[in-house]
Amino acid sequence: MLLLPCPNCGPRNVAEFRYGGEMHPRPPAPEAVDDEAWTDFIYMRANKAGRHREWWYHHRGCGLWFLAERDTTTNTILRTYLPAQPHGS
Amino acid sequence: MAPEAPFDFVFAGRVYRAQPGDTIASALARNGVRVISRSFKYHRPRGLLCAAGHCPNCLVQVGDEPNVRACMRPVEPEMIVEPQNAWPSLGFDLMAAVGWLERFLPVGFYYKAFIRPRRLWPWFERFLRRAAGLGRVNLATPPGDYVKQYLHADVVVIGGGRSGLRSAIAAATAGADVVLFDENPTLGGRLNYSGDETAAAERAALLARVAALPNLRCYTQATVLGWFEDHWLPVSQGNRLWKVRAKAVIVATGAYEQPLLFANNDLPGIMLAGAVRRLLHQHRVKPGERAVVVTNHDEGWAVAAELLAAGVTVAALADERHPTPAILSADLPTVPIFWGHTVVRAEGRASLRRVWLAPLTVDGRPGAPLQTIPCDLLVIAAGSTPANGLLYQAGARIAYHDETGQFVVAELPPGVFAVGRVTGWEEDQAAEVGRQAAAFALDQHTAPDLPSHGTRSLPAPCYRPTPGKAFVCLCEDVTAKDIAMAVAEGFDSLELVKRYATVTMGPCQGKMCAVASIHLTAAATGRSPAATGVTTARPPLTPVPLGVLAGQPMEPLRRTPVDEWHRRHGAHMMVAGLWQRPEHYGDPLAEVKAVREAVGLIDVSTLGKLRLTGPGVPAFLDRLYTTRLGDLPVGRVRYGLMGNDEGVILDDGVTARLDEQEWYITTTTGNAEAIYEWMQWWAQAGWGEGVHITDVTDDFAAFNLAGPRARAVLQALTTADVGNTAFPYLHVRQLELAGVPCRVLRIGFTGELSYEIHCPAGFGPYLWETILAAGAEFGMRPFGVEAQRVLRLEKAHLIIGQDTDAMSDPLSAGMAWAVKFDKPDFLGRRSLLRVRAQGLRQRLVGFEVLTPGVTPEEGLQIVQTDGNGRPTIIGWITSSRYSPTLGKAIGLCWLPAELAARPGTPFTIHREAGPVQARVHHGPFYDPTGARLRS
Repeated sequence: MLLLPCPNCGPRNVAEFRYGGEMHPRPPAPEAVDDEAWTDFIYMRANKAGRHREWWYHHRGCGLWFLAERDTTTNTILRTYLPAQPHGS
Repeated sequence: MAPEAPFDFVFAGRVYRAQPGDTIASALARNGVRVISRSFKYHRPRGLLCAAGHCPNCLVQVGDEPNVRACMRPVEPEMIVEPQNAWPSLGFDLMAAVGWLERFLPVGFYYKAFIRPRRLWPWFERFLRRAAGLGRVNLATPPGDYVKQYLHADVVVIGGGRSGLRSAIAAATAGADVVLFDENPTLGGRLNYSGDETAAAERAALLARVAALPNLRCYTQATVLGWFEDHWLPVSQGNRLWKVRAKAVIVATGAYEQPLLFANNDLPGIMLAGAVRRLLHQHRVKPGERAVVVTNHDEGWAVAAELLAAGVTVAALADERHPTPAILSADLPTVPIFWGHTVVRAEGRASLRRVWLAPLTVDGRPGAPLQTIPCDLLVIAAGSTPANGLLYQAGARIAYHDETGQFVVAELPPGVFAVGRVTGWEEDQAAEVGRQAAAFALDQHTAPDLPSHGTRSLPAPCYRPTPGKAFVCLCEDVTAKDIAMAVAEGFDSLELVKRYATVTMGPCQGKMCAVASIHLTAAATGRSPAATGVTTARPPLTPVPLGVLAGQPMEPLRRTPVDEWHRRHGAHMMVAGLWQRPEHYGDPLAEVKAVREAVGLIDVSTLGKLRLTGPGVPAFLDRLYTTRLGDLPVGRVRYGLMGNDEGVILDDGVTARLDEQEWYITTTTGNAEAIYEWMQWWAQAGWGEGVHITDVTDDFAAFNLAGPRARAVLQALTTADVGNTAFPYLHVRQLELAGVPCRVLRIGFTGELSYEIHCPAGFGPYLWETILAAGAEFGMRPFGVEAQRVLRLEKAHLIIGQDTDAMSDPLSAGMAWAVKFDKPDFLGRRSLLRVRAQGLRQRLVGFEVLTPGVTPEEGLQIVQTDGNGRPTIIGWITSSRYSPTLGKAIGLCWLPAELAARPGTPFTIHREAGPVQARVHHGPFYDPTGARLRS
């Protein structure tokens, strides 16, 4: 089982966490984007092979939502951190 | 407790005598029992082959437990052991006739045979089910007592042979916390049965050092099932599954001795050298009277000498090598030596009677003339393959070494180490690797060094094509010819051969056949073994009882504070997510009537409950809910609908503002945890300035007091004025009821005057009983979820998740009134604007049933006949109940918007017993103006 380092609690079994999906910041002004861009935001994900930024929630722990950078080709966690911008980046 | 004197046990209905320390297999060998099982496909007799827990030959049934490896399980007094796959008996197996049908059961026969004629399949199936399968499962067996347990270590050593022990001792001496697992009953590996005194002394010395190290724990009969990310190892030991987390892992799993390929190579009496040595030295059992040894390295000579010393006649020693001065030093004066010979054929009925030896020609193939030698034991000491499945799983790179014909470790991932024969070499630096692993685990350095590249290779097996039935895979009865045929039929890669011929897919998981199938596939395709590759090694490496994986049932169960009262009062309980809720107390329709005409009380403690505090809450709620909640005044309650950016309904509930900076929010029972996480995400990801969210679901018990006499009951419990003016609809009050501090919300899901009473959970049982007592004189009844469903349906209130799904938006669901487009940006606004502009396709509306006496089941489809007279599906019903108040069946359904638009539009529900007529209804069925709520 993968170990995931929670920024608060340190490395924990991944079973303590819930996956929150790929990081994809919400447009700050939804009305300002056209239908196509809005549809992309809602439905499309990059699903990258390689460095992937994603949300994790420590739901059997401290309750922190944080970001992880993971190499999806090797399933190694490169780093975990808190978002600097609203909705992640 | 281990027995100390000889004792009896039963095998195949006969009583046998065992010695202390025997395994089932050694006890059978001691009693001269040769045939232990029948094979899977041809029902051929099979006997002890590896005695190391690797092959399928000695799988037996012990009581109710199928597929026990007889060579690994210590025999116990009174144990009842039965053979598997034999019908009606081991000695006389009718299914052995299948052997004569061989040409009708070619490789891949299950893709070819028994397919036609179809009508005969039930007969074929009965036959195949009896013929195939491993052991029997007794469905009446009481559930086993299985446990799971975590275990942490700096260094885990897998395998307690010489190398494993030495590396474990070194790692522990270097200060690491070390755990060692071995699947055998005793530690020491080959040192247990090497047959010389040096080995026994070395084993004793190693075990003495182990005993002196408190930071080295050893577990025997403990099988590591696989390697998972970050050195997470499931280990099966008896009825326990250890979940082990290590910082570094040393793999010391040794090697699997390999059989040879020749005609009838599966006859009982043919054994691998390791099995012979275990019987001779570990159990003091003579494995036969007249032996032939076939070998390609020095071990065969040592075994021959040991057999002679045990009083066994060695009729011949066939050494596949041609003599060189170096190996000629071996000396067995009384044994006829056949240099450059191998075995090409074995003969016998239930057991070995003679073998045929043939000289090897210059190109390595068996030639002429043949020699026949009578014997009852054939010992194969012809090479091993590293037991490297765990290394593959851990991501090690393993290469085929052309020179030695062996698979050797080429590269190891960080934290994974290998010692001993698993590396593909005979020498090792076990102590040095143990120190490296300890240093890695203790963070002293991070770059692991490769295991030393040895010079003395682990002897590799050699596979030669021979005529006759030569079994590659003993589990599934796959012969060398079958592999050639699979390749000829076009399955020309190893992974395809595996799937088609099922070689490596049986209980041994390739331990006995993987290397042979690589060499045979390579030969049949004209590729090198290196280019042929290997099949993927997946967990579990060794079969494991399902009970060990399942463990104890650990599904949590949530009970409300009043749970015990419900059960004492005849509640019929139902499951709602993890919760247990009363569905009804015997008569749901009477419960509906009580609420409509008098008063009722329902336990709604399962509602999700959140406490939000801080100055940022109004803006936060306005962003998350489609409803306007930011301007909610203190003391007021408002319904809230929540959506996501797709415009899909997520949840609903009520929000009460208790104070200038404190809000109390309920969510639906099923969504409580998800909505808390959802809110936390939006708060933590950027919208949470001045917002603090606490989940208080378990802190409060909650009851809904509903019915025209609800106020009278409430007034009986408090001195505060709860009149309609002092405490109007959609207000919240903090009241003391019967001395209990409560927050009371005047809301009405049921459509009657009602109060939702929230009190600290500990007071729940007391307050529940006190309210019921106060309500007795007003005709109060407790009511359950079923009555509530009817009551809310009469008001046409939807239930999220039942009447809506992951495609439902609030406009189509008839909740446009709860979407405040005049608010600035909120979740779903952008998508819902588009839905509004495009117009609705489907709508959720009420319906009443016109066909008398029918309440259609929820989930039925609504159909319409199209232009060609064919019925097409145009909608479905999501809620349906008989309403005792209205005297007819009503419900909610999704219909095309144009049909849903006009009240009274008739439509047809498809039902197996005959079509049901219904018509569209708009708004609540009961009290459409909501006067009763406000009264």
